[in-house]
Amino acid sequence: MSMKDIFITSAFKENSVWRQILGICSALAVTNLMLNSLIMGLGVVFSLALSNMTISIIRDWTPRSIRMMVQTLIIASYVIMVDIFLKAYMPEISKQLGPYVGLIITNCILMGRAEAFASQNKPFDSLIDGVGAGVGYTIVLLLISFVRELFGFGSVFGFRVMGTWWTNWSIMVMAPSAFFLLALLIWFLNVRFYTVKG
Amino acid sequence: MKDSFMYPLIFMLIIIVIFVGILAIMYRSSEAKIEAFKRDSYQKMVLRVLSSEIANATGRDAEEVAQDYPASYNEYVKEINKSGLNRRIFASVVDAKVLGYCFEIGGKGLWGTMKALVSTTTDLTTIIDFAIVDQMETPGLGARIEEEWFLSQFRGKIIVQRPDDADDVTIPYEFIAETLSPENDLQLRRVTGATITSDSVLRMLRTEFNYIYSFFRENSL
Repeated sequence: MSMKDIFITSAFKENSVWRQILGICSALAVTNLMLNSLIMGLGVVFSLALSNMTISIIRDWTPRSIRMMVQTLIIASYVIMVDIFLKAYMPEISKQLGPYVGLIITNCILMGRAEAFASQNKPFDSLIDGVGAGVGYTIVLLLISFVRELFGFGSVFGFRVMGTWWTNWSIMVMAPSAFFLLALLIWFLNVRFYTVKG
Repeated sequence: MKDSFMYPLIFMLIIIVIFVGILAIMYRSSEAKIEAFKRDSYQKMVLRVLSSEIANATGRDAEEVAQDYPASYNEYVKEINKSGLNRRIFASVVDAKVLGYCFEIGGKGLWGTMKALVSTTTDLTTIIDFAIVDQMETPGLGARIEEEWFLSQFRGKIIVQRPDDADDVTIPYEFIAETLSPENDLQLRRVTGATITSDSVLRMLRTEFNYIYSFFRENSL
């Protein structure tokens, strides 16, 4: 597969969230504000791409019996790097994201791509796959957070777009709204773009 | 070789050394910046809750004092060590005269603990200012306790008015809906959709004032 095909497949055709239903916990937790979603998404892209590449580089030397421990260690290391970077250079955003950056370690997408792709493919292909899966995840976060922030706060990326007449919908800033928005998104995309082969 | 007993152990050890080493170097190089941000944010908040008294005594604007960090903090704010209280205490001092105190207080919210700074008059009976340092409440709902309208309700409120009551020296304020206007001094507006968090803030204030006030009844400040 070409680089473009790898990217499109991991970002859209086999999107981790709407096709594989992975990474749902954080998709529900951080999507009340678009800025939080964007930073979270970039953190996942960075961690996913570099952990995929590193796991691929050492795949020929990694013993099968301990491969998952090695993968977890590598993923955790990159996530902690993101966490340290945010705390040092973007402390306000780090404070808003709270524990969720650290929880990228437990995001199923990272382990899923490491096991399904990086451990069997070349380093550069794995890097592209990681970027693609991360971008696909970020798009989902931004779509959900756009609706939640618009109706829940009357703003987009913190900029007020609704007039003073607008009454914020409390349900949109609570976790249940992310549940039904995500369900609607998955339903729409599957009905519109994917067909069940008989 | 990969199937041998020692290979996985040695391999794992090498991976751990490499990645932990990288993380240690990265953390050490950023540690000073992270700690400095935490300290500055905290001290700015202490200065802000003490700024109105400092402004009154120095003839300056309270906002100007609050913005004048670290100069105003170094000049007017002193941390007091009081063994046995287990709370951080700060005093605003102008011309060797203590104008007010600031206490770090804590309590339980809906989802976790919360930490706040409350400044008081020197007799510890009236709240000068109040700020939330740390909370884990629901964004958009309980987290709105950090909003100015909610915090400003506590400014100037007498919190201790029953000094002879051994069990509870504080005034039992009550919450009304956010959309209503208080009809008397004992009513405060709660955050809509965050009844438990609003109640937790009030409970934290009353519990902490009971503790602090009773402590200083027996120990001089």
